[in-house]
Amino acid sequence: MDEKLSIMIVDDEMIVRESFLHWFEKIGHKVETASSGIEALEKLEEFPFEVLFVDIKMPKMDGIELMGIVKKEYPDTNVIIITAYGSIETAVKAMKLGASDYLLKPFKPDQLSLVMEKIANQKRLASEYNYLKGRLEEITRFDNIIGQSPAMQDVFDLIPEVAQSDSSVLITGETGTGKELVAKAIHAKSHRFHAPFIAINCGAIPDTLLESELFGHQKGAFTGATHGRKGFLEVVAGGTLFLDEIGEISPKMQIDLLRVLEEKKIMRIGDRQPIDVDFRVISATSRNLEKEVSAGTFREDFFYRVNVIMLHIPPLRKRKEDIPLLVEHFLEKYNHETTKRVDHVKREAMELLKRYDWPGNVRELENAIERSVVLSKSRTLGKENFAFLHTSSVSISKQGTLREMEKNYIQQILEDCAWNVTKAAKILDINRVTLHKMIKRYNMQRIP
Amino acid sequence: MGVVPIGNVPEITSKTIAAHLLGYLDINADVLPSLEHPAYACDKKRLQYDAGTILDALESEPFHDYTKVIGVLDVDLFIPILTYVFGEAKQGGKYALVSLFRLKRNPDGSIPPISLLLERAAKVALHEVSHLFDLHHCMDRRCLMHFSGKLDHLDKTPPYFCRYCSSYFLDALRRQ
Repeated sequence: MDEKLSIMIVDDEMIVRESFLHWFEKIGHKVETASSGIEALEKLEEFPFEVLFVDIKMPKMDGIELMGIVKKEYPDTNVIIITAYGSIETAVKAMKLGASDYLLKPFKPDQLSLVMEKIANQKRLASEYNYLKGRLEEITRFDNIIGQSPAMQDVFDLIPEVAQSDSSVLITGETGTGKELVAKAIHAKSHRFHAPFIAINCGAIPDTLLESELFGHQKGAFTGATHGRKGFLEVVAGGTLFLDEIGEISPKMQIDLLRVLEEKKIMRIGDRQPIDVDFRVISATSRNLEKEVSAGTFREDFFYRVNVIMLHIPPLRKRKEDIPLLVEHFLEKYNHETTKRVDHVKREAMELLKRYDWPGNVRELENAIERSVVLSKSRTLGKENFAFLHTSSVSISKQGTLREMEKNYIQQILEDCAWNVTKAAKILDINRVTLHKMIKRYNMQRIP
Repeated sequence: MGVVPIGNVPEITSKTIAAHLLGYLDINADVLPSLEHPAYACDKKRLQYDAGTILDALESEPFHDYTKVIGVLDVDLFIPILTYVFGEAKQGGKYALVSLFRLKRNPDGSIPPISLLLERAAKVALHEVSHLFDLHHCMDRRCLMHFSGKLDHLDKTPPYFCRYCSSYFLDALRRQ
């Protein structure tokens, strides 16, 4: 049987719509009709049609205008222009604008078959391409870390370099930026990739338990130790130990770990026999450890031990150009997981997502997309699907004087635009000279 | 089912179609009395006959004793989007049409022997009748349900189904 396609016929003449409908029903395609461009766009929002047959001459919105919108909003949809002999020039224009083909009506029976065959071939090639692209992305994405911004490209460049050495790495960045993914990527690209990657959230485990978890214990070492147990530092043998939220570790544990890192030997709790261990440590923190070292709340020697190489993951608000790519990735992910078909985000919704500050970073964005996909009743996500972001979208402090609020707002827009004054002035709807004067007046500087 | 000549159609054609329906599809078919030439369906601009209009007109004829009916004509049929059709049927419907007009002349302009004309007419009829049993077009070129837009394609198409369409047809026949 033929490959079945979903087709919409857009023509103001009922007889043409019905003629197409009956013809395609014989082939077994899913066919829908629309009598105007507006009706077609409404139906496209509800269902992802693969092929559109569009008449050029229609009242209100003509075929060319409709095709322009379709190619912009749904670039994967094939548009075939139907035209009469008199409007062949328009048909040629349509081809230049992205139409897959055009048919002069009435057309010979085998012409229609050839066009459909061509579309089916294109579809097959596109799915092969998408499969291969997906495979390529799997290989090049560094374990699902996504980003095309210069800041993330720097991180991607550093990962393979860092992976080659065995030095301790400290990954800094706000919560939800993907520190563990970076740690996993470093492990995967290192010579230790065949050995375990063990992640421990130091902030989630009480100090006494953390000691036992890391070092292991002998039978009878403490009440309840009914049998001996290996700690993660032994289990990780040859692999990578990821200590998340390392800023939460107590000073005592810092000393113990410092010794292990220097001597590469451990002693299980309740045992006096040193055991050789071989692992690489990657730590992560969302706190400013340098400040804590200065304040004396974090040991300086331990800090320098774990911070041989520092990698900083920028917050999402500083790399907003990555948002569309991340949205696309999470849409794909949750379409797959929920078996829903939500594959499009309206421009104003994307603008909203780009304006929002994402205090929870990529994790918060992922949750927002998941929630919207699950609750969406159409294939397109609009502004209304992200209404829950509105209440907390503006991160400007509402405290202080009007002058302070103005300063903070300008500062935020400048940061969002990476201090591109022209771009920031456009958003603020003032001219560049005025913005320069305000920067000078408020003595504003780029936040490092 | 019924085979009804519409206008001036040689009796042998209707009989051949009825025989093919029995031989290839195992469907008993009666040749019915002729209907008048379908002048009502003639499109003055195209000088062709609208297949949809003729199918609609058949609805009002007294064919209550037949579950399926195929009309045989000697006029040039069209549907609004296509320049011509060899035959027409509504998917899963009751009525189908077959036209002899374009089957009577070879692509090179020569006249085919009567046996070839009858074979072509029978194949188009079998194809259109199969649409009435809800069979779709098939990708297999060696299947009756493969779409033929040109005579040379039609001549290469066999009068029988591929395995897939055959089992689908038997299933549809059982459901009738």
